[in-house]
Amino acid sequence: MRKLALRNLLRNKLRTTLTVASLMFALLLLSLLMAFLDLLASTSGSSDNRIIVRSAISLATLLPESYWHQVETLPHVEAATPLNWFQGVYKDERPENFFPRFAADPATLFKVYPELHIGPEELQAWAADRRGFVAGRTLARKYGWKIGDAIFIKGDIYPVDLELVLRGIFTQPKTPDQEKVLYFQRQYLEEGIGKRGLIGTYVLRIDSPANEVAVRKAAEARFENSDFQVRAETEKAFQLSFAEMLGNVKLLFTVIGLAAVISIFFITANTMAMAARERTAEVGVLKTLGFVRGQLLRLVLAESLAVGLLGAALGCGLSAVLMPVVGALLGKMMPVFGTLRMSGGNWAAGLAIGAAIGLLSGLGPAVAAARLRIVDAVRRVA
Amino acid sequence: MKIPLKYNVRNLFVRKGTTLMTIGSIAFVVLVYVGVLAMAGGLRAAFSAAGDPSNVVVLRDGARSEVESFFTQEKERLLVSMPGVARDAQGQPLAAGQALILQILRRAGGGETNVSIRGVEPSLFNVRTQVQVIDGRRFEPGKAEVIVGRSLAATYPALRLGSTVNFGRVPFKVVGIFAAGGSSFESEVWGPLADLNGAFRRIANYSSALLHAASPADAQELVARIKGDQQLHLTALAEPQYYAEQANVASKQFIILGNVLAVFLAVGACFAAANTMFAQVSARGHEIGTLRALGFRRHSILLAFVIEAAVLGLVAGVAGSLLALPLNGVTAATMNGVTFSEITFSLRTAPWILGMGVLLALVTGVVGGFPAAWSAARRPITELLREH
Repeated sequence: MRKLALRNLLRNKLRTTLTVASLMFALLLLSLLMAFLDLLASTSGSSDNRIIVRSAISLATLLPESYWHQVETLPHVEAATPLNWFQGVYKDERPENFFPRFAADPATLFKVYPELHIGPEELQAWAADRRGFVAGRTLARKYGWKIGDAIFIKGDIYPVDLELVLRGIFTQPKTPDQEKVLYFQRQYLEEGIGKRGLIGTYVLRIDSPANEVAVRKAAEARFENSDFQVRAETEKAFQLSFAEMLGNVKLLFTVIGLAAVISIFFITANTMAMAARERTAEVGVLKTLGFVRGQLLRLVLAESLAVGLLGAALGCGLSAVLMPVVGALLGKMMPVFGTLRMSGGNWAAGLAIGAAIGLLSGLGPAVAAARLRIVDAVRRVA
Repeated sequence: MKIPLKYNVRNLFVRKGTTLMTIGSIAFVVLVYVGVLAMAGGLRAAFSAAGDPSNVVVLRDGARSEVESFFTQEKERLLVSMPGVARDAQGQPLAAGQALILQILRRAGGGETNVSIRGVEPSLFNVRTQVQVIDGRRFEPGKAEVIVGRSLAATYPALRLGSTVNFGRVPFKVVGIFAAGGSSFESEVWGPLADLNGAFRRIANYSSALLHAASPADAQELVARIKGDQQLHLTALAEPQYYAEQANVASKQFIILGNVLAVFLAVGACFAAANTMFAQVSARGHEIGTLRALGFRRHSILLAFVIEAAVLGLVAGVAGSLLALPLNGVTAATMNGVTFSEITFSLRTAPWILGMGVLLALVTGVVGGFPAAWSAARRPITELLREH
């Protein structure tokens, strides 16, 4: 039986190849879409131990500096540090030269991010230099920065340009995204804009993720009746809120994926119907020889399942090979995509879709073959 | 000698099942392509409706959007009274300072995003004449009232007519819903500048100023005057230019996505078309042989099958475009990548987009069908006639 199904597949090699190829391309696309969605939902480098406090209005509204001490002294909070998103332009406006730049506080930054490693001398050197900055290792390597190098960043959100000197390089091998960030002294920013005490976000490190809800509630309640109410959320929720802002992208991708699946279903169903039509007489012969309905049903289904699985496996395989390349290309425009990879879940979903399409498209011809009356089948030989 | 077109079309529908399934597969590819491009089309339409070439947008020097920009009241007074700013019948300048504030709000379907809240002075309504209250009334300054763009009102429960929304610690009442010719302003909340600045405890008064000039040429002159003034530290640009950048940033992602999808899906569909056309050719070996024996040349056979494949693609393209038509007017929302606030827009299946869809299907059909047509034309008559 198995041999017969295989032989049938190879009978019209051109047709099988074309069908497998079209399946392959569709699955390649589907797995890319799935990986994109995974990427949008990724929260690499976030910790359950950290809480972000920001203005309840939006990130564009800043908070008073006086809040710092107040959040720092909340129960379960071990350390708190202010961060201001500076944005700005380094070299030119091309997306590949974009990376996160924050105005930070050298004394507390690494207490809130203990997973970032920096030498104590380097940290001291940064704290001592108002114009100093520290950068992640990946970032420093990308631009070939060495300690003592000066760089220039043009301001856009803040009306001030930065002339910075590299004082330290921090590392975090586990989450490369965290190594692509630049921190400079917030004191420098404040002097530049001539205004003191405006903070974008406060990042808190808490003693245990179990106290996350308590800390968030306490922080929000603390400023409930003040001029600037705050919103406190876990680092993960904070990162996911950016993907949420993209709107119904997930719905869009799902609809596209569905249309692609329907499209390949048509293609494989078509192939299976063509293959079955050619073999009507053969089915009659098999039946005459004593093959029963169930066997014939399985024979056709095995063939279509094989086509579906083969196409899916090739598509997923090609996608696994291509993804780092596509990711690197897209990463130049949108850095998020730099780490595009095929996950085990993507493989499983891709193969399952391939198998389902194969089985469904073979179902019609299989039932027809099983039901076929011998007389009708054999009559067609002539 | 050419083979009549009727022959090709009829042949396609002899094997209905196969042909219809292939048409179906290509049509879905077209649907996806047109659908994604319609998002880009809708975004472009929303932003281009917002720009008037006689209007000038003034921002802080170095800022790229209103969200990043801020300046003082003195500068705003200077701008409004600048020579070159047009005046209305009462002699009042057609110009207004505005504040753009982002506020996090919850969507009806779940999820949160930044919504643009615009603090405006009454004179703005004389410059932005396309803004018309369609339900309720205009806000009255000093009473904590706002009006809401119609596409926002549909998506945010807090922004429906009659409901109350908290800005800072001040509850604002939604007293009107406005239309703005389908432009991106329909994704904004408008309220009195002073009330909103107070509620949000803003230090800087203005984000931008909108100046109306008598003509596009006068607008250019105004732009040059503002940029040339070293004391102001402001930058100015014609309004269409300001919104064109936002349109490009927002629609670029959809155009890239649409084209990437189209390439992948169309390659897959090409194989389907190839399958169908090979089946056509192999089923009609004898027929082709007969045609050749009658004196039709190889290139006529080639052309006949290519036309057949083209018809297949064309029908699929039209079918896919028809399937995509109901998408027209469907509202979608995404993030304005320049201001980081939500923009709600309607999908637009503009004629050029439908044309691109049909073209894609046509190319798919012809490219997919060509190998089969080639093989049909190449085979020797003797071999063809021997087939039954």
